Amino acid sequence: MKLKRNFAKVEEILKKHDYRKDNLIKILLDIQKEYRYLPEDVINYIGVALDIPPAKIYGVATFYAQFSLKPKGKYTILVCDGTACHMAGSTSLIESIKEELNISPGDVTEDLLFSLDQVGCLGACALAPVMVINEEVYGNLTPEKVKEIIKNLKEREMKNVENNK
Amino acid sequence: MKIYVDGKEVIIKDNERNLLEALRNVGIEIPNLCYLSETSVYGACRLCLVEVDGKNVVTSCNLKPYEGMFVRTNTPEIYEIRKGILELLLASHNRDCTTCERNGSCKLQEYAEVFGIRKIRFANIPKDSKVDDTAPIVRDNSKCILCGDCVRVCEELQGVAAIDIAGRGFISKVVPAFEHNLADTECVYCGQCTAYCPTGALSIRNDIDKLYKALKDKNKVIIGMIAPAVRSSIQEEFKLESDIFIAGRLNAFLKMIGFSKVFEVPFGADLVAYEEAYEFIERLEENKRLPQFTSCCPAWVKYVEEFYPDYIENLSTVKSPQQALGSIIKEIYSKESGIAKEDIYLVSIMPCTAKKFEAEREEHKGVVDLVITAKELAQMIKASGIDISNLKPEVFDRPFNLYSQGGLNFGKTGGVLGTVLTVVDNKLKIKSFEEAEIEKGIRLFNIELSNGKKVKAMAVHSLGKAKKVMQNLKEGILDVDIIEVMACSFGCIGGGGQPYPNDTAKREKRAKILSEIASTNPITSPNEVPYLIELYNKYLDHPLSHKAHEILHTSYSPKRRVPEEDIEILPLPVSEEEKVRVRVCLGTSCYLKGSYNILSELIDIVRKEEWAKNIEVVGTFCTENCSNAPNILVDDILISRADINKVKEMLMDYVKRKQGVSDVS
Repeated sequence: MKLKRNFAKVEEILKKHDYRKDNLIKILLDIQKEYRYLPEDVINYIGVALDIPPAKIYGVATFYAQFSLKPKGKYTILVCDGTACHMAGSTSLIESIKEELNISPGDVTEDLLFSLDQVGCLGACALAPVMVINEEVYGNLTPEKVKEIIKNLKEREMKNVENNK
Repeated sequence: MKIYVDGKEVIIKDNERNLLEALRNVGIEIPNLCYLSETSVYGACRLCLVEVDGKNVVTSCNLKPYEGMFVRTNTPEIYEIRKGILELLLASHNRDCTTCERNGSCKLQEYAEVFGIRKIRFANIPKDSKVDDTAPIVRDNSKCILCGDCVRVCEELQGVAAIDIAGRGFISKVVPAFEHNLADTECVYCGQCTAYCPTGALSIRNDIDKLYKALKDKNKVIIGMIAPAVRSSIQEEFKLESDIFIAGRLNAFLKMIGFSKVFEVPFGADLVAYEEAYEFIERLEENKRLPQFTSCCPAWVKYVEEFYPDYIENLSTVKSPQQALGSIIKEIYSKESGIAKEDIYLVSIMPCTAKKFEAEREEHKGVVDLVITAKELAQMIKASGIDISNLKPEVFDRPFNLYSQGGLNFGKTGGVLGTVLTVVDNKLKIKSFEEAEIEKGIRLFNIELSNGKKVKAMAVHSLGKAKKVMQNLKEGILDVDIIEVMACSFGCIGGGGQPYPNDTAKREKRAKILSEIASTNPITSPNEVPYLIELYNKYLDHPLSHKAHEILHTSYSPKRRVPEEDIEILPLPVSEEEKVRVRVCLGTSCYLKGSYNILSELIDIVRKEEWAKNIEVVGTFCTENCSNAPNILVDDILISRADINKVKEMLMDYVKRKQGVSDVS
């Protein structure tokens, strides 16, 4: 699925930062907030607007781990793979997500609903193994619980779609 | 300034840029892999370490010399450190040296040899091994040492910035935006990155095999043509220093390996200058499409297409010497000589990487069959075992072997302009001529014609300088009538296809050699070239004739940077027939001329005003009419140089008419 976008939002962000080259990082952060990643056409667009070569913006965007150049899902799943979670079986959580959504860490589902990332310690070792979906923390997980959570989210989305019809 | 180097008193200039340059000028080349005198200082490779005042070991590339400093350049400690750095660089380096394009001309290889590195203590962890060979410039990151020379050359000297360092730490690499292939970027293929890359990470696409394949084909007649700048540089590969007869020897060599004919590109250059001079006179008289830009340099042409599409019509429509002579050979010479056009395999020998791209452009396909750089020709000569210095120079083949001094001077900055002005002088008589250097790389010529008209001409070399000139032109603070641009500094003699090293010192030397060769030529103007005049008499009628246009001229077009579908901005849920679709161009030129403001005002109108309720607003990229930006399309009607009032007026009228039609039906 291709994200439909217009550049009104981008212009708003550019304006907010005065179209200034030295505000590039702030602009990229705002863009990412809006689109959940840095889309290529948006980067080209701000390259023109700020007169910065796209290769340079790409250099900045890839330098900071904060920025993502791949789309993120509406639900971003972060599975902790810190020492405690790893020992408590986080690998099996990843496997169960793979089975349920058919994506590996770093990927996003085709419908752009879910994305999966494996991350370092989330600081909730007492609840290991842990995952975070859109800032909500799920602890003491088992592969079955993970599947259940994802199924629930899927159902919620289905209902949303039907309600909008 | 007096300093002490390795125990000796040394006098250096007071204004040296840094210690590394100062030492270079007194005969000590401090090892380095990332220092370029032509760009900003980067200090990444750490090889240029020296010991200062008996205590600190510091990089010499970013150290300003001071009176009385004590420098030691080769202590055991420094030797160890340098060796260690080389080992670490080699640990992550693709060490397939024997099959590398830069085998024998690689700086890293050279240092590994002289520092006696035979064993590396660290495991070889190769880097990204994807090779991008989609363009005449080949990228291989497994050979990159991240010195950043290419990045600085591309941005600072050439004003292109097609590549940059992406990522961080061990995984960082030099790539175009989004890791696209070079062929899909704004790269102009000038090859200056390959000229400065110390390793094989950036190299030219080697096409020698294609040439040998053609030579094997008995049905093909191989015809060669040699560019002016090649005869100023290829000597370096054979330690023949300033052999001014090298071109004749190259001719002899090409005949030995099976070329039927070898012609001189300087003839094509004369032809181009002749045609272009008349084009210039016409534009001057009509006062349109000025300043005229020269179009001999394919990297410059692509630069205009990519970055200044609104100036495309300023480019001279005359083809480059390579393509002009190629067309004459294929269209006219083939008939005169009785060799079928299809049987000719035309090989052009060039100092340039962008010429490979030019020959492959849609506009020029089928004219020049193969472009070989000076570097590749040198390789072929070496492979043949033939001692080029022993070959007796041979005269080039008729009819393309006589040309003017200017034809040869095309190989260096100012050459095209000079030759065009010679032709202008012949026609209109130049009364006075004054030259001034505006800054390094930009020269201005104030010319007065005998009819009293004043003409301003400019010669620019390196695209970075061209960028400055274009900026001034855009802002209206530069007023000139004709501009020559050569993408590489010093012109073609510094092209991306020239032998290594290809630095300023070498380029200055090549300029001198080319001048000397040109100055021995008794023909001073294209008007005096016998076959050129005959060509017009027999085939081309006169400059700018219909026939001349057919064979010698071409056209250029903007390069779409964002191949994007239209973007829905205010979608309308009504049927297609009822809709009026307004497409606002958000491409570079239109955007910079305020198309976005028009878009927002349009959205306002559509939202607020009743008459406009059936207008659907869409964003689009590049209507290919950049010189008349901003552009708006109302259904199929193009509004150029648009502003909101113009668009609104036009729209109201259009909507009314459209409604009228549907009411009647």
